[in-house]
Amino acid sequence: MKILIVDDSKAMRMIVTRTLRQAGFADHDYLEAETGLEGLAQVDGHSPDLVLSDWNMPEMSGIEFLQALRAKGNTIRFGFVTSESTDAMRELALSSGALFLIAKPFTADTFSDALRGVFAT
Amino acid sequence: MTTAEAGPVVTGEQIAEITRDVWQSFLSLELVVASVDPFAALGGATSTGCVHISGEWNGSVFVQCTQAHAQQAAEAMFMADPGSLGPDEISDALGELTNMIGGNIKSLLPEPSRLSIPTVADGDNYTIRIPNAVLVDAITLVCEAGPVHLSVWKV
Repeated sequence: MKILIVDDSKAMRMIVTRTLRQAGFADHDYLEAETGLEGLAQVDGHSPDLVLSDWNMPEMSGIEFLQALRAKGNTIRFGFVTSESTDAMRELALSSGALFLIAKPFTADTFSDALRGVFAT
Repeated sequence: MTTAEAGPVVTGEQIAEITRDVWQSFLSLELVVASVDPFAALGGATSTGCVHISGEWNGSVFVQCTQAHAQQAAEAMFMADPGSLGPDEISDALGELTNMIGGNIKSLLPEPSRLSIPTVADGDNYTIRIPNAVLVDAITLVCEAGPVHLSVWKV
C-alpha cells in the first residue's frame, strides 16, 4: 500500500512516518508532499492508496486539497492529521469525504485505532 | 503590547497542559512550571515561534525558548545527531511545535477562527510587537533542555 503524507513541516512528515511504522504499518511505501497543491500532483502521478494530510498549509490547505480531489471524482481514502480539531472542523472534514481526523500531538495507538478500519477495507 | 489582563479566555494552566503534552509526546521531555522570573530565565540567544488567530477571536500565541532548547527539540523531532541540523530544520521544528500549541489553544477559543502559518524569529536582541495587543496569560516551563516561555495575546 502507498501512503501519501502531506504536511508543510518536514519534521512533522518524519514524525508521522515514524509513528506509522511504530504503529505496525512498516511494510508500506511512503510518499511526501509539502502542500495541498503538491499533494494533488502526487496523487495524480503515483495513485497512493491513502492520504494523511495536515490542515493548515500554505498555497492550498488540507480541506481545499480534499475538496479538490473530490471535485475531480477522486475517491481516495483520506484522513487529516492536524493541530486543530474543533467540532466544526471535524464535521467539515467528514462531510467533505475524510475518514477521520487525528489531532496533534498523537501516539502510535492513535494511528493504530484510526487506521485499523482503513486497512481492513 | 501591554501586560494588562484581557479576560480569562485561556489560562496559564491550560497553556501549560497543552505544552507539556506536546513536549512529552514528540520530544520525550518533561516540562514543569519554572519557579524563576519568566523573562530572566530566557537570557542569551533565543528563538520565538508565533502563530496568529483571526476570526471570532483575534490574537497571537508566542513560544519562546533558548536557541539551545530549540536545537535540542529539533534533534528530537528529526532523530538527528547533536549539532547536525541547520537553521532551516531548527526553525521548521519550532514552527511546528508552535503550530501544535497554537492549534490546541485555538480549540479553546470562540469559533469560527483561522490559524496562521507559523513564523520563527531568533537572535540575541530582538523584539516582536503585536500593536495594541493585550496579554491574556503567560507561563514559563522548564525541562532539561532549558526554559520555554508561552504567552497568549489578544488584539
